Amino acid sequence: MIDRLVGLICALIGAGAIWHAQTLHVPFAADPVGPRMFPTITGGVLILGGFILMLRPGPVTMEFGTWPRALAVLVASLIYPLLLLPIGFIAATSLLCFVAALAFHARPLPAAASAVATAIVFFVLLDKVLDLPLPRGPLGI
Amino acid sequence: MDAFAALLTGFQVALTPLNLGVAFAGVALGTAIGALPGIGPINAVALLLPLCFALKLPPETALILLAGLYYGSGYGGRISSILLNIPGDPGLVMTTLDGYPLAKSGRGAAALAISGIGSFVGGTSAVILMTFLAVPLARLALSFGPADYVALMVLSFALLGTMSEGKAVKTWIAVALGLLLAMVGIDGGTGVERFTFGSLELLGGIDFTSLTIGLFAVAEILVLAEGMISGVVSRTGSGARLSFKEILYCVPAMLRATGLGFFLGVLPGTGASVASAMAYTAEKRISDKGTFGKGDMRGLAAPETADNAAQTGSMVPMLALGIPGSGTTAVMLGAFMMYSITPGPLLFTQRPEVAWGLIASMYIGNLMLLVLNLPLVGLFARLLLVPAWILYPGILALSYAGVYAVSNSAFELIITTGIGILAYGLRKVGIPLIPLMLAFVLARLLEDNFRRALSLSDGGYEILFSTPTSIVLWLLAIVAIGLPFIRKPALHPAVPAAESGKAGA
Repeated sequence: MIDRLVGLICALIGAGAIWHAQTLHVPFAADPVGPRMFPTITGGVLILGGFILMLRPGPVTMEFGTWPRALAVLVASLIYPLLLLPIGFIAATSLLCFVAALAFHARPLPAAASAVATAIVFFVLLDKVLDLPLPRGPLGI
Repeated sequence: MDAFAALLTGFQVALTPLNLGVAFAGVALGTAIGALPGIGPINAVALLLPLCFALKLPPETALILLAGLYYGSGYGGRISSILLNIPGDPGLVMTTLDGYPLAKSGRGAAALAISGIGSFVGGTSAVILMTFLAVPLARLALSFGPADYVALMVLSFALLGTMSEGKAVKTWIAVALGLLLAMVGIDGGTGVERFTFGSLELLGGIDFTSLTIGLFAVAEILVLAEGMISGVVSRTGSGARLSFKEILYCVPAMLRATGLGFFLGVLPGTGASVASAMAYTAEKRISDKGTFGKGDMRGLAAPETADNAAQTGSMVPMLALGIPGSGTTAVMLGAFMMYSITPGPLLFTQRPEVAWGLIASMYIGNLMLLVLNLPLVGLFARLLLVPAWILYPGILALSYAGVYAVSNSAFELIITTGIGILAYGLRKVGIPLIPLMLAFVLARLLEDNFRRALSLSDGGYEILFSTPTSIVLWLLAIVAIGLPFIRKPALHPAVPAAESGKAGA
């Protein structure tokens, strides 16, 4: 069932790629092939692969562990870029690592301690030692 | 001889303090990262890749570092396999078969020692083979025209399909997806925007570092967060130390495994995991008297040796042809390209300091690894005691810090996470990530050669099949594409081919 769905999505993406390729306008013909042919062939492979998968699906065992933990890490990862510039590397990274540490079964207090330590270590290592500027945030540290 | 003189100039590059230091950092970090359960060579290389660019390391230095991480992780990977029974990546599954029983019986230290020696034998012999084979292979490729290259790349995709676990069709889907992702941005030939959806940020295409970090760091952490792998750390044990007799006993197994591993590594598309699996099976067939799987030294030495020989072997086609032999070398090829260096036939004449500096550094690196991994292995084994909740959040933070350092853009982090989500989904439905990576790296080369060939013939497709080389490569590709569809279990058909290769190597 999952394979059939994956096949369908792949075929749709392939069709989309071919459709997009045909809309490309080339101002002047530099080579006889142009930018369309390659995406068209690739889209074709994707459609073919999608159809094979739909016609001959295999058993896919979608194994999910405790997926809310992965979701927590994911949400933290999505918020992280938004916070990075406003609050600076150390604060943002501490938050990210705190959530991730909790997701990896840490108790709150050790999680917080290791998160802050990780953030500070990487800041010192990258920004101070290796001289790669990281966002400093309002406190300027 | 030619190779000796070239190698000497290589040593002049590799022995500068910076490059020595970087090689040491690479192999030490590689062993450490390789030792972590769930994290393999490709993750190690992906993790440090953005830092190389952010630090603006010279190309040879960056590649010495990345290569050190790569073959260093081949040494480190065995630690968690032997002591924890958790293979860090698919290439190490075979190591657990005889390694873990040895550790359980109290001979963990001996198991680590023999596998370390095996890794050294495999790694070093493969570097020697590479020293003498890379240039002839590159010379052969000098005569390759654009059409031959197209055929060669299709063949390497096809081989990936044969070797992959699960359905071959999913490999092809992964390849197509990788090619599509690589097309995002401005087309080099005509300046037309493709797949940018009107977004300014996508004009420059998807950044290579974001893609690797997304595929091999973010997605990995998500998977790890979801189902914690856990195991009881088995002590290195107080059993008998490794005796000299036991080492000698394993030498034939190691030599066989070196040949097999190197050959399979050089073949495009087949990496260390296939090599170690075949070395184990072959060794079992040759010398098993009911002891394999219960802690036979040879059953441990063979896959470890093959694993490291294949890792180095897979660098040969990457350097000589510009076609990577494995996922990790695909990442390294991408690194070359970011330095505007094109690996391939001309690399050895145009940028000898890069090519030979890298090869020379691998002699030094393997020696360093032997020292790091025999007396100091306990230090690395202690890494297994660091709790997951410190380790993995740290890896996540380093990934994002690296992407930020190289791009200076928070938007790039969102793209990275997006790719991570995509990769997580693909893993769940069984679409492999390594072919996707390989296709992404090769896409530009493939399309350029495709278009070059067709402009030579003014649009006639017959040119793709016009040279003897290209015809042979296409035929091989067709066989490789057809195999998994004819014979159901796609994993085994390569065994006879591998054995004939062993005889030749």
